[in-house]
Amino acid sequence: MTFINLFNGLVYGSLLIVMSSGLALIYGLRRVVNFAHGALYMLGAYIGFTIAQHTGFWVALVAAPAVMALVGVLLDRYGFRLLQDRNPLTVVLVTFGLLLIIEDFVQTVWGKSNLSMATPALLAHSVTVAGHELPVYRIAVLFFGIAVAVALSLWLRYSRVGLFVRAASTDPVTTSMQGVNTDRLSAMVVGLGTALAGLAGVVAAPFLSLSPAMSSDVLIDSFVVVVVGGLGSLPGAFAAAILLGLLQSMGAVYLPSLAAILPFLFMIAILLWRPSGLAGNRT
Amino acid sequence: MSTPQALEVEDVAVYYGGVKAVDGVTFTVASGEIRGLIGPNGAGKSTVIDAITGRRKPTRGRVRLQGEDVTGLGVIERRQRGLARSFQRTSIFAEMTVGAQVELAARKVGATDWKANAHEVLRQLDLLELHGWMADELGYGQQRRLDLALALVGRPSLLLLDEPMAGLSSQESEQLAEHLQQLTSSWNVGVLLVEHDMDVVFGISDSVTVFELGQVIASGDPAEVRAHPRVRQAYLGSAA
Amino acid sequence: MSAAFQGITRPAHIAVATAAALAVGGLAAGGIGSDMLLSLLTQATIFAIFAVGVGVLLRQNGMVSFGHAAFYGLAGYVAGILIREMGWSGEGAVLAALGGVALFAFVLGFVVVRVPGIAFGMLTIAIGQSFYQGATTSRSLTGGADGLHIDWPQTLFGVSLDTLFQPHVMFMVCWTALVLCVAGLALLLSTNFGAVTEAVRDNEERARFIGIRTLLPRVLVFTLSAFVTAVAGTLSALNTGFVSPESLHWSVSGSALMMVIVGGYRRLWGPALGAMLFFLARDFLGDFAEHWLAIFGAALIFVIVFAPDGFSGALVGLWRRMRGGGKSRGAAAVQAN
Repeated sequence: MTFINLFNGLVYGSLLIVMSSGLALIYGLRRVVNFAHGALYMLGAYIGFTIAQHTGFWVALVAAPAVMALVGVLLDRYGFRLLQDRNPLTVVLVTFGLLLIIEDFVQTVWGKSNLSMATPALLAHSVTVAGHELPVYRIAVLFFGIAVAVALSLWLRYSRVGLFVRAASTDPVTTSMQGVNTDRLSAMVVGLGTALAGLAGVVAAPFLSLSPAMSSDVLIDSFVVVVVGGLGSLPGAFAAAILLGLLQSMGAVYLPSLAAILPFLFMIAILLWRPSGLAGNRT
Repeated sequence: MSTPQALEVEDVAVYYGGVKAVDGVTFTVASGEIRGLIGPNGAGKSTVIDAITGRRKPTRGRVRLQGEDVTGLGVIERRQRGLARSFQRTSIFAEMTVGAQVELAARKVGATDWKANAHEVLRQLDLLELHGWMADELGYGQQRRLDLALALVGRPSLLLLDEPMAGLSSQESEQLAEHLQQLTSSWNVGVLLVEHDMDVVFGISDSVTVFELGQVIASGDPAEVRAHPRVRQAYLGSAA
Repeated sequence: MSAAFQGITRPAHIAVATAAALAVGGLAAGGIGSDMLLSLLTQATIFAIFAVGVGVLLRQNGMVSFGHAAFYGLAGYVAGILIREMGWSGEGAVLAALGGVALFAFVLGFVVVRVPGIAFGMLTIAIGQSFYQGATTSRSLTGGADGLHIDWPQTLFGVSLDTLFQPHVMFMVCWTALVLCVAGLALLLSTNFGAVTEAVRDNEERARFIGIRTLLPRVLVFTLSAFVTAVAGTLSALNTGFVSPESLHWSVSGSALMMVIVGGYRRLWGPALGAMLFFLARDFLGDFAEHWLAIFGAALIFVIVFAPDGFSGALVGLWRRMRGGGKSRGAAAVQAN
């Protein structure tokens, strides 16, 4: 029982890695806490569901995030960019309004009842690990999350664009003065961020069912991860994601009250000690 | 010294992270005196102002207001003891009216007849007809005067002006300079004036102190300081 | 008193406006026959009080809280638990709920108001969700996810519960509470305290340089806003006889914020207007009613981008234009010259 919980916790944590890295990237570049991130995750899942109905899971896995990337680019171009001189709190509230619109859109198009997406045939069986039967799909999700984490870290660290992203996240003014087109960079990064949310949605769909309520919980979990992991730090977010996943699944069995509150207590502690991480002043 | 100086800065040094922003400076400002403080960028002028106002704790040295050692006191306590400052980057209350904020400042500094005092300051700075205007509706020059007004209420004993002429036209600068001279003489305020505009500084100051690299390189009568070789060197040909 | 936030500031004017508002409420209470409508209006009024609480924090401190539902729900839970577990009287429970939440907010305020910008918003989410999870998982104390039924004692402040629960009476009680909260805040903020908090909101550093100790004013505003929210929470617990973890959820705080922004936070009564619009939209949009949240979300975005003063600002602007005014006093004076 414990082993299964541990495993499930790691799987969810892995999913959170994909989710929260998108959130962290958007915040890093645009200083916007994207309240619509959970809704984008949900939208990606539902779009993936529909695409999968026609072309199967694997096409959906690529196509849905691509659609979400486009949504992200539009969001950046017509949302974040136009509001960038306003109080950041204003933009956050706009993303909150967007959350409601997207949730309603999903309910209107796909209805209110839960939908389930079939696990792709390739991964639809189980294997026995350490005496327990584990769904292969979930194992794949686990490795997928790790792969995304590694890929993003390498990209940020070693690619030219990654360098620009890190620079622009630290000091946007100087970076643009150096000739980097920060507007195009932002569109790209926000697009990547929303694509990651959509990707998480598609990946989650086969083992967590699709429901109109799926956006809210994962959003809060992402917030916890990004804050506790420390904003400048993707590796921090990765670690926090895994820890949160483990805490939730293990805690639900052993210490329900504490496990439910503990993440928020950590979040409170971090925000009290290092609020500048989240409210950081742009130069 | 029979009467205490409005301001005494004694061997103040501010070091942080290996940088010697201010490296042991000493000067005074008497009541009714306008002392200009000039120096190239990075010379330590802003830092010494921060040390005088209490925004930053000096690594060593003493700051005295009217003879009282205020080195350990904070910004609010020093304000209560008659120290006021204006800001290089206009620092006002955007969503309050001119009248409301100046009256608030007068009230807070404990001026006995604060309404009259606020009225007086607004009149002196030609802001009276703008009494009901929102601060963010004002023009740049008007906002600079408002910034100054917030410092002038309550008849401070020492006024620190951080580049008050920044961004003003030459006509506005002249007017502001006149206002300052009138106020300082009628209220007997000590003024420490940090400025880049050489004409202004040498025009209205009773004395001038020159900073370079955190140290005082010249101090005294404006004409003498102007002619001082090291000063000319520091400014590399500007404003001889 | 600053012009942009100008409203009715003279005590005499506030008194007149209060009397007028109470009269309107009385007319509604007496004149509306439909119990269902009265019940809806009661709910709207309770939420209006909640929104006013959230709004005053934004207006005076410039702070956006996503966690005020914690105060809302906490008030209900405190009252409910005291009545059920400790056999307190209704009056005691109400006073304890209001006082307890206010005290808690006061202490909490000293810690949280120092946190700047969006970090404060995230902090409020964390605090709110802590309470939400706490309430959900403490079955024995709070009834867990099922919520808590509150057996209000037979009389409350001398009024029998049967009387109180009549729709027009309940509405009037809640409406009176709303009007008194707004009037009370208006009076308080027309004093020097109002000017001090505005200065701290606009420019904290300069406020210190003119001699203001900036922590306490902000804490007091935070406490006031929590208190008003607790009033709403207590009334809600009274109105429905029930409190559940749902009333602690961050989405409830989010809804309140929407009402604040759409209604317009620059006027103390703006958030109340926003709440009314919110409830009206939900019940009167007809065919589109299903999409009311999205419509409100769109309204939120529209207001933020194009009309930051919200509906209340638009109404006031309209009123001024009709009277021949228009701009702020200052600009108008220049025009006159």
